[in-house]
Amino acid sequence: MTGPLLHAENLHKTYRSTPALEGAGLAISAGEIVAVMGPSGSGKSTLLQCMAGIVRPDSGTVTYDGRVLSELGDAERSRLRRADFGFVFQFGQLVPELTCVENVALPLRLAGRRRRDAEQAALPWLERLEIAGLAGKRPGEISGGEGQRVAVARALACSPRVVFADEPTGALDSLNGERVMELLTAAARQSRAAVVLVTHEARVAAYADREIVVRDGRTRDLESSR
Amino acid sequence: MTAWKDLAMGAGFALRGGREGWARTVLTALGVGLGVALLLLAGAVPSALAERDVRGAGRAPLTGAEAASASTVLFGWADTRYRGEDITGFLVRPEGADPVLPLGLSALPGPGEMAASPALVELLESPSGALLRERLDYRVTAVIADEGLVSPAELVYYAGSDTLEVPSGSAERISGFGVPVVDEDLDPLLLFLVVIGFAALLMPVAVFIATAVRFGGERRDRRLAALRLVGADRRAVRRIAAGESLAGAVLGLGFGALFFALGRQSASGVRLFGKSVFPEDLDVPPWLAVLVAVGLPVVAVAVTLFAMRGAVIEPLGVVRETRRVRRRVWWRLVAPVLGAALLLPLAGREPGSGFSLVQLVAGTLLLLTGVTVLLPWLVEAAVSRVRGGGGVSWQLAIRRLQVDSGGAARQVNGIAVAVAGAIALYTALVGIESSFTGPTGHDTDRAQLSASGRFGDALTGVEGVTGTVTVASAWLAARPGEQQDVLNVTVGSCADLAEVAALPSCADGDVFIVDGGETNAIGLAVPGNDLHVLSSGAEGLTWTVPENLTPAGTRPDPGGVVRGGLFATTAAVSPELWEAAPRTVYVSVDASVPDVVEYVRNAVQTADRTASVAQLTRIEVSDEFAGIRTGLLVGAACVLALIGASLLVGQIEQLRERRRLLSTLVAFGTRRATLSLSVLWQTAIPVLLGLVVASMVGALLGGFLLRLVGRPMSVDWTSIGLLAGVGGGVVLTVTVLSLAPLARMMRPNGLRTE
Repeated sequence: MTGPLLHAENLHKTYRSTPALEGAGLAISAGEIVAVMGPSGSGKSTLLQCMAGIVRPDSGTVTYDGRVLSELGDAERSRLRRADFGFVFQFGQLVPELTCVENVALPLRLAGRRRRDAEQAALPWLERLEIAGLAGKRPGEISGGEGQRVAVARALACSPRVVFADEPTGALDSLNGERVMELLTAAARQSRAAVVLVTHEARVAAYADREIVVRDGRTRDLESSR
Repeated sequence: MTAWKDLAMGAGFALRGGREGWARTVLTALGVGLGVALLLLAGAVPSALAERDVRGAGRAPLTGAEAASASTVLFGWADTRYRGEDITGFLVRPEGADPVLPLGLSALPGPGEMAASPALVELLESPSGALLRERLDYRVTAVIADEGLVSPAELVYYAGSDTLEVPSGSAERISGFGVPVVDEDLDPLLLFLVVIGFAALLMPVAVFIATAVRFGGERRDRRLAALRLVGADRRAVRRIAAGESLAGAVLGLGFGALFFALGRQSASGVRLFGKSVFPEDLDVPPWLAVLVAVGLPVVAVAVTLFAMRGAVIEPLGVVRETRRVRRRVWWRLVAPVLGAALLLPLAGREPGSGFSLVQLVAGTLLLLTGVTVLLPWLVEAAVSRVRGGGGVSWQLAIRRLQVDSGGAARQVNGIAVAVAGAIALYTALVGIESSFTGPTGHDTDRAQLSASGRFGDALTGVEGVTGTVTVASAWLAARPGEQQDVLNVTVGSCADLAEVAALPSCADGDVFIVDGGETNAIGLAVPGNDLHVLSSGAEGLTWTVPENLTPAGTRPDPGGVVRGGLFATTAAVSPELWEAAPRTVYVSVDASVPDVVEYVRNAVQTADRTASVAQLTRIEVSDEFAGIRTGLLVGAACVLALIGASLLVGQIEQLRERRRLLSTLVAFGTRRATLSLSVLWQTAIPVLLGLVVASMVGALLGGFLLRLVGRPMSVDWTSIGLLAGVGGGVVLTVTVLSLAPLARMMRPNGLRTE
């Protein structure tokens, strides 16, 4: 067994006077799916954002593939997020003016691919997520579940090594939520992408290989490997 | 009753809707407030100008007193100019113990004393007023009170004299101060320019106010959807939205009144292009105040309801019509076509002769309205044909514009209308400029200054003076007091006379006769004829026309005057006449000597307090025309600044609406530069289209205005380029200023939901 792909240690983060993380840590290996659970306000999303290099922790380290994220500049971290990470959020993540295929192709375009190439590469992802028929539609014209599938397709389109999913089913009904999770985890396993899955729903966490709990800014590994 | 409750609920949302609600309401109110303040200010300008006239008339001397009395005063004008600033000067010498007093003074200054305006006192006491102190070397014994001033920044003084005498050319006996205001009709052409200026400059303010009441519309729609969920019907949410707008508009009225009051209060300290006004002179006509107070809330509600027409507010959210109705062009052409239809019949009619100003203003406003209604259609039509190829920033911008071009078009509408109006005005200004400016005939190669008065050899040895042409001039007649048959005699050295007449040859003692130039009773120039000198200061003197009169030709003097009559060398007239006749000295100076003009003025005006010194210029601009041109420039600058502020607020508002999306895009690695560029494209594309429309409509309207006043239609490409460039510059500045808030909104905090 090789070392973890992504490793967070002793993270502290405070928003104004409110502590969000107080010594949280998490290690995740390549291809592993880890669910981060906990009640609202426990620091789950902040942990995800620190691990993804979106937010700098006040102290502690996040190491990705041997590199300490907090030592990288903004441009380098942005490049990492473009090339190696994928993201799925609860809502408000699709660009409303772009069509579904354009949204999925966006990370590829940001990585420098030409528009036509990027959209060609995006189409198979729409098919895999069973939304090929929505390619030309805009986010405002599709349902919430369909929108999340588009977001999943976008997260996976650039073949990331880690997908960060923050409450990806939070705005969906259970049927749609399960379908999105099935598609997300299946696609991630197929492409050997690790997934950090933030959720407060046990049935969503059940799709993960392992669960950790965040409470009052600290993590606790449940060691419930499946 | 329910309707009132809904309105009140809406107002409550606006005023008690938490930080977000407050922010939106305050933004709207600030925008509306700025617009209202500008409207009130524009409305107060006529009263301020009228008050200036009243103040000027209130201190004007009442001349014509025949005999001296205890209250009469000898009065002389002693105006001067210092580094480009006009200074009004009055010399006073009381003839009795109880002299009349001008407004603002409790006593007349004695000899060697001066009462000065606060601005003049400040200037004299400052280091920059050192040279002026040499000229106005009186002791300041009083400060003129406000009621004796035309404007707070006016430079004016009363100086005591013990040398003024009547009769003389430089003094008059007065029996009081204050004359009725002469209600001079403005030249119809200038009135036309003022009316069009007001219309063209206030139109963008109206557009701006309409934009301001739509700030934060999307957020409000979401709130209304939540109300639908708890049972509000469609009518109710419209009333609630109306209530919100109403609250914003009413608060805006309050802000506007406050801004106006603050602006009015600080008016005395503000100088724009040398003009200032007293706060108490800035009065808004009651009808305008009522119109704004009643009309603005109505307009705010109407605009809000109009903006909501494309949105269906349902309990689970706001559905903008997904199948977007393409904007139709036909009804958008109605306004400009109607405008042209109103203006066309006026073409060729001179202002003042059956020229309907109402028709003119209505036509102009409709044409400018055409810009605002055509622009959304044009932007939509243009961007719908653009593919989203190119870079990511371009794609994001184009797609955004394709989905909602109306918002972007609305944002640049104000700028487009302002630029169109400014181009039209500028075109009209340039076109009619020739009526109010013209060559003076001054020959600035031969002299740069002309000085008149009785200052002897005061200019000898003055630093920077390189040459002088000195001629004295007197009117002669057969009888004392004759007004009609008069003959001019110009006296000087041979060299100096050669500068004002074409002499064949000259020796001291010669006298020349020039039949031409100004009207002269040349028949009086008969050798041996005894003539009486009429010019003031030399009355009582006589001169006998000598035997040998040599014919000479005319030559314009450096001041452009073509003189006629007799030209006598100094030896041909008595020393008394040469000394007493009023002199004009044309002065050549070395322009590289700093303040050389002030040295000349100091020399001349300390020797003769009532002497005048004028700078010669090749082109003269009518004062009224220059004033109006300045006013229009000030107005255009204010409007563009206002529109720029509105653009910035609108831009920030739009970014706030998309904060979460921006954070998400940054989260998955979008370069900040890409998003910044996308914001720039989103503004630049509509602006470019807006400026094209504005330039076309502006040039058309300007050309049309010229036709109206019988001038040939012409397009001044330089001014179009300049004004379009200014408009573009405002937009670029706004975009640059919005980059800081954009950077803030791209921070990951936007992802936080808890």
